[in-house]
Amino acid sequence: MSKICCLVLLLGSLASWSEATAQDVVLVANRGVQISEITDADLRAIFMGTRTRFTDGSHAVPVTLKGGPVHEVFLRNHLGEGPEEFRAQWRKVVFTGQGAMPRAFDSEAALIEYVSATRGAVGYVSRISSQDMVKSLATVK
Amino acid sequence: MSRRLQLCLRRMRLVLLVCTCTGSIYAQDLSGIVVHGFVSQGFLFSSSNNYLSMKSSDGSPQWTDGAVNLSDSLTDNLRIGIQLHMYQLGEFGGSNVMVDWASGDYRVNDHFGIRAGKVKTIWGLFNDSQDVDAVFLWILLPQGSYSIDHKSFYLSHIGGDVYGDLYLGRRAGKLGYAGYAGQATVDLNDGYIKAFAESGLVFTSSLGGKTYGGDLQWETPLSGLSMGSSANMQALDGTAPTGSIHIPFAFAPSTYARFSRGRVYIAAEYDRIPFHATLTIGSAVFPLVVDGRSWFLMGSYRLGHNIQVGSYYSHYINKSGVTTLPANYSKDWVVSGRYDFNPYFYAKLEGHFLRGTALGYYTSTNLNGLTPNTNMLAAKIGFSF
Repeated sequence: MSKICCLVLLLGSLASWSEATAQDVVLVANRGVQISEITDADLRAIFMGTRTRFTDGSHAVPVTLKGGPVHEVFLRNHLGEGPEEFRAQWRKVVFTGQGAMPRAFDSEAALIEYVSATRGAVGYVSRISSQDMVKSLATVK
Repeated sequence: MSRRLQLCLRRMRLVLLVCTCTGSIYAQDLSGIVVHGFVSQGFLFSSSNNYLSMKSSDGSPQWTDGAVNLSDSLTDNLRIGIQLHMYQLGEFGGSNVMVDWASGDYRVNDHFGIRAGKVKTIWGLFNDSQDVDAVFLWILLPQGSYSIDHKSFYLSHIGGDVYGDLYLGRRAGKLGYAGYAGQATVDLNDGYIKAFAESGLVFTSSLGGKTYGGDLQWETPLSGLSMGSSANMQALDGTAPTGSIHIPFAFAPSTYARFSRGRVYIAAEYDRIPFHATLTIGSAVFPLVVDGRSWFLMGSYRLGHNIQVGSYYSHYINKSGVTTLPANYSKDWVVSGRYDFNPYFYAKLEGHFLRGTALGYYTSTNLNGLTPNTNMLAAKIGFSF
């Protein structure tokens, strides 16, 4: 019985850990980006390719992770899309010649490195440290 | 190395790659040049009648599609790209690699951009993307609106587009617009050419005509709901050794609505494609009047990450003929399923319950005549990167 209780507690803690991880999406941008907050509507427009500039008029370069829970949480929470719909939408854009798919990264470290080095870049990670040469963006509904 | 020299080298690499790209789609380090592609293989089996020039009543795998594109953002505002496409659908298409689109795109800002070259034609919900199998649940789109055997004429034009978005405020949504003008061409391996040949008019050079039109799409404040309207004016002229065809400008409107949120997708469209053609064969002149009216209603649901199912009903009638005759209507109930093995590979299965023979049938591949009703099974596997 005690083994079952331990198993339930372990599964419960794993579930809450994964939920916590999934909720910790942090928007990151190149330090040259002037804005400090962005609406979900603007974020959606930038990541779906219908808007190429931030509200201050500067050029926006969206970047994504290739997959994983952080990628999925970002898409669902901020864009209102599943990864399949996101991919399909971008395939339509790419194969009809109307735009270029955002650059996608295997790891958060690679994404942060790119964002820190690229003017106008904006992406998302699970967390950032003080050593990362990027700024975080707050989202407003 | 100066920025100008770097740009020049990138452009040269792009041109070289386009020139030598005859089949290799391996990922390449092209420093800024992005390569994408897709390949799909289809299979069609029909209970009676041969569809789309395939021997589908025996089961036919004669349906292959493939494309590769390259694009490069030269500046924040300027992007160039090219897509090469090969398809074989029964007797249509062939082994020739064609330029699907090749354009330069200068986006002044989010409200205004210009695209020039060979550009996909925006009309209705799917015209510009109808040949990109990887984005759809469906194997065959509603044929009354997007006939796959005539796609070469409608898919693209050589000319220019203007496009942009107008933001109407938080409570009013967004208005997207596009306008275009140019020249559209019917490939020699298109269904129209085959249909003309069956009437005794054998074209040895492709036909074409001027085209212009536009699209207005309102993204409503209700998340996921958009609606719009497109209009197209198109003319066609061609000369064959035995005669000619002339179609003056015809007005083709399309009105559509789409709702997409979470796992649910619903869309509907109403189109009208009329034309008054004059066929001259030898000294005889034949008028040909078609008033095609079509609509469809479709819906799909994503059961899980990998599985999507859906259904649509497509309705087409030629109003200029006797609409009770099977040759003047086509009604199609469709059920579809798609399974994605991973982000790159997918498989699709689709059932069609076709009533009427107005679309997709050719005399030369149905020498024993047509039966009014056909049931059909379509399958496809595809790869996209």
